[in-house]
Amino acid sequence: MRLIVRDDPGSASAYIAKYIIDRIRHFNPTPEHPFVLGLPTGSSPVLIYKILVEKYKAGEISFENVVTFNMDEYIGIPREHPESYHTFMYKHFFSHVNVHPRNIHILNGNAPDLEAECVAYEAAIKSHGGIDLFLGGIGPDGHIAFNEPGSSLASRTRVKTLAYDTIIANSRFFDNDLEKVPKMALTVGVQTVLEAREVVIIIVGAHKALALQKCIEGGVNHMWTLSSLQLHPHPMIVVDEDATLELQVKTVKYFKSIEQVASSQGFEQILPSTVRTGPRRKPSQQLTPLSEEKEEPTILSPQPVTSTLLNAPATEYPVRSVTPELVLAPMSSRIAAH
Amino acid sequence: MPSALPIARDRITKFTNCRILKGDQLVEQDLWVSSGSGKIVRSQEAFYENLAVPDETINLGGRIISPGLIDVQLNGAFGFNFSQIPDDPLTYAKTLRQVNKSLIETGVTSYLPTLTSESQYVYKNKALPHLGPSGTLRHASEGSESLGAHCEGPFINPTKNGIHKVDNISYAMTFKDLEAMYGAEYINPTLDPLDGSLRPPVIKKITAAPERGNMIDLISEITGRGIIYSIGHTEATYEEASAAVAAGATMITHLFNAMRPLHHRNPGVFGVLGIAESLPRPYFGIIADGIHLHPTSIKIAFNSHPDGFILVTDAMHLVGCPDGVYDWTNGERFIKNGTRLTLAGTDGKIAGSCLTLIECVSNFLNWSGASIPQALKAVTSTPAAMLGLSGVKGSLESDADADLVIINEGIAEFGEKVLTIDQVWKFGTKVFDRSE
Repeated sequence: MRLIVRDDPGSASAYIAKYIIDRIRHFNPTPEHPFVLGLPTGSSPVLIYKILVEKYKAGEISFENVVTFNMDEYIGIPREHPESYHTFMYKHFFSHVNVHPRNIHILNGNAPDLEAECVAYEAAIKSHGGIDLFLGGIGPDGHIAFNEPGSSLASRTRVKTLAYDTIIANSRFFDNDLEKVPKMALTVGVQTVLEAREVVIIIVGAHKALALQKCIEGGVNHMWTLSSLQLHPHPMIVVDEDATLELQVKTVKYFKSIEQVASSQGFEQILPSTVRTGPRRKPSQQLTPLSEEKEEPTILSPQPVTSTLLNAPATEYPVRSVTPELVLAPMSSRIAAH
Repeated sequence: MPSALPIARDRITKFTNCRILKGDQLVEQDLWVSSGSGKIVRSQEAFYENLAVPDETINLGGRIISPGLIDVQLNGAFGFNFSQIPDDPLTYAKTLRQVNKSLIETGVTSYLPTLTSESQYVYKNKALPHLGPSGTLRHASEGSESLGAHCEGPFINPTKNGIHKVDNISYAMTFKDLEAMYGAEYINPTLDPLDGSLRPPVIKKITAAPERGNMIDLISEITGRGIIYSIGHTEATYEEASAAVAAGATMITHLFNAMRPLHHRNPGVFGVLGIAESLPRPYFGIIADGIHLHPTSIKIAFNSHPDGFILVTDAMHLVGCPDGVYDWTNGERFIKNGTRLTLAGTDGKIAGSCLTLIECVSNFLNWSGASIPQALKAVTSTPAAMLGLSGVKGSLESDADADLVIINEGIAEFGEKVLTIDQVWKFGTKVFDRSE
């Protein structure tokens, strides 16, 4: 676990924005090998998006070969509704940068068959080789995406009924009328998030201090779904000082010292280089059929630790990312565009 | 060779880093327009549903995007007078097309070609056949679009004739008189010969004096055909003007000019802008050329009813022409001196104006202390609303026609604000660029 403490929400957001940009640039994505980014909505990430847009406009980063997957979407409000997560993403991010719409994945809360929509979403993530970096925020009750307290830590993308607290909290966006607030949503599961090769969470504000404390200092508990992050090999939580109010002084000092020592020794808390560039297939591998045997859990193909621990029905879904089918690139793709 | 390049049928242009006019505010927001539909694109829907991305992104460097300007009172421009029939009548349509192309470069993307009081012959045989709504084919290359003709007269009061020829002034007792004057085929909706649908009449607006003939009773006949009835060139008292408004008048032609002045014992036409009779207040045209009206009169009118305030040029055909003396139809002569246009041989009788609409907007800005959005509204959404075209013209909302002007906000020598037209777009296609 990496816990990065910054003075205020602005510098915490700037840290994450820079981190994402560095990750994408180091990854060096191409159309055949895109960077797969998981994205949240809500108030916490707004500033991160703002900085990413600024950096894009300044020419420091391109999202041309970035594939995105969003965490969640309401059920039953039109896609163009001002409070839909489609609208949020369009307003804060997609309309300002060069993510191509065909590379964008957001759950469709108006799909005729919601269950099929969820299964297809998981399949789409797998067909892109899994998510390289899942950015997230949390609710004051420690929920990640719409995985409300009590959600299974082995959960997958599914229909979720919203907690009463969440409905009340959201009513401010719906004329303070509880009747107008959607009661259900589609959301990625805890397991879906944990399968990302890296998870980065932003937590700012005193009202989220208790959730942070429960998720870091408490045990893994389905009542604070973010605590499942303790089982992930490469999580990073970036917080402001206010969010640390409930943590022990010792905890904060420990994480601060890790960062300090690491940077004083000339290295940063970065990921293994194979993770940073993603699982690139070697040309020779493309021609040989893949073995059916399971390999040992590695960071390149994360095994759902929770499903082992909790004995989740691992057969219900393929447990490791399926290697995408071989697509022979046409000669024209080798000619630089324009 | 540019002509060898394929012309994309539907080209989406995205404007970014711009301030767009929305209501009383300039909002920092991107705007997508389509050259295929000629409309403003519902960008979010196009993005998610059709996976559409802009073919071109234009960074406007913070400049203003306003809907294309609408002039509801324009008598002519660039030497061509809509009321003047050329010696060779066949050239009328050809010259009109040329004028439309020049006019759009001033930022006026749609307008009401305005005819002063003329003879039956001119209305029926010469002018009206050419002046009807011209945007049905939605061709950007045709220049400024007519939204229909504005017949200013001849049913006006001879004592408030302005420069209208008194001999042409008439009065109407029945609607038949109007049909006889303008031509029944131009004042009534017509059937489309192709698909049988009802097309709006050629005439969009009639300025008439309510106290003349039987006009008060004819107002509902006029408005019932989708034509705007505007009070003007009139001796109407406050009571007569109120009766006209009650009967359906929704507009006042060049408020204060060619009507009784505001008097405290009888406020005249201006009085209907008060809310005394609980009638809906009409829209009203204002000529902000610095000659027709004192700047303070304009401010009073604006403050009395900001939502009805429409800036018009009332420009004569000499706008865009060099200074000098010019012949007028009735044998008299005009003297053009800058933006001032007077009748020769009189003591400087005003003969319409001679400035562009954007100059009127700049004038109004400097005189009134109104904000830029308020001033631009007076030439975009307000005239569109007056014409019943809200959300189609004069608007930057999705699905409105993509008629746009890119405006640069400058400061002149003495610190006054000057708005200039940098680019003009018609139906989603660029038709003018100052820098080219």
